[in-house]
Amino acid sequence: MLEYFLPRASSFAGSIDHLFDLITYLVMFWFLLTFAFFLYVVFRFRAKPGQKAQYITGETHKQKQAIEIPHYLILVCDLAILFYTFKVWHEVKIDMPEYDEQVRVISQQWAWTFEHAGADGVLDTEDDIVLINEMVLKKDTQYQYELQALDVMHSFSIPVFRLKQDSVPGRKIFGHFKPILEGEWDIQCAEMCGYGHGFMPARVIIKSAEEYDAWIAENTPAHLKQDTAYATTESESKEAPNNG
Amino acid sequence: MVGFLASLGSAVSHANDERGKQLYANCVACHQADGSGLKLLNAPAIAGLSEKYVAAQIAKFKAGHRGGDPRDTSGLQMRPMASLLASEADIAAVSKYVASLEPKPIAATLEGGNAERGKALYATCQACHGADGAGNDLLNAPSLLNQHDWYHVAQLQKFKDGVRGSNPQDTTGAQMRPMAMMLTDEQAVKDVVAYIQTLSN
Repeated sequence: MLEYFLPRASSFAGSIDHLFDLITYLVMFWFLLTFAFFLYVVFRFRAKPGQKAQYITGETHKQKQAIEIPHYLILVCDLAILFYTFKVWHEVKIDMPEYDEQVRVISQQWAWTFEHAGADGVLDTEDDIVLINEMVLKKDTQYQYELQALDVMHSFSIPVFRLKQDSVPGRKIFGHFKPILEGEWDIQCAEMCGYGHGFMPARVIIKSAEEYDAWIAENTPAHLKQDTAYATTESESKEAPNNG
Repeated sequence: MVGFLASLGSAVSHANDERGKQLYANCVACHQADGSGLKLLNAPAIAGLSEKYVAAQIAKFKAGHRGGDPRDTSGLQMRPMASLLASEADIAAVSKYVASLEPKPIAATLEGGNAERGKALYATCQACHGADGAGNDLLNAPSLLNQHDWYHVAQLQKFKDGVRGSNPQDTTGAQMRPMAMMLTDEQAVKDVVAYIQTLSN
């Protein structure tokens, strides 16, 4: 249901949406049922001339059942939600898939710094591409992010990824995502972090593999570029057996 | 008729002053109502800085020519604030208001600076910032008076490290970089800042 309002741009966005759907539909079912029951009761037992209201103490087993049965049924629904919650929580926050790319996210009052690993795919090397308030990602690539805060707590939130992770000063927090939709989307701070909290929006730009490689090439200084001629030869030699 | 035009003119400029004061509400949290700054939020004193300098700095922050370096953590704090000023007219109005604020003496926080040695080093600064430290708009040099000493130290360090003034678009900042380079070590920075503080008294 949520995807009609906000596209899903990460591999786990669907799981979060399904959890929301499950909660929404179960709660909606019980809400409508209870509401309908109350409307019926109000109508059925409306004031009539000559009829006195009864005082029910709820002590007999039969009277208690009116509460007990729905109570247990709702508990079963809760367990269903709980089970699915653990499953999604593990998928999004606990399990760390093998990653192909790394990106470092540094939050501060009131800006985001994104350190991209650059052409060699390794952080903290000379060819890192550092951008402020702009994160560039490659579609269909498993990422690991490292989240830091320089001053106070912030929260790294990308609504289209259905991702929200607090950043805490003094801690390095690792997480993962896999962008699955090309485009440009919002990143926001979701933890009140001071006066400029509302003015620290950033953008995530998800590019196709070709566009991403072109972007890397464009932002890598000439002397750090890998020998492309060699790379071509290598890939050709790998493909050669298939062609033959 | 002349009188009418004059009153119209003064009404317009009065409206601009009001606008500047209104817009300054966004600055108060860090720079304080009197423009004296706040160390806790890395905000320098801005009261009484020249209109031209303030407008130029806001424009630089807005464009990312200043505070656009990932290493410039305190500059990055100012950047989103500058982007709140949507038009040239707003920048002009708030700059005028800032310039109209009365500068106040600022307490020293720095220790270990030798003002005597700083005086000799200040000879380099004098050409642009003036012997009295009051600055010179024609040379894009701001006043150094009634400023926090920690701010001077931080900015000199930023100029030295290329965190400020190294953006190719920041031509006036680039002027300051080689000057800051002449302060070869931390002690020299402290000494010259200690001397600058004596100019305010």
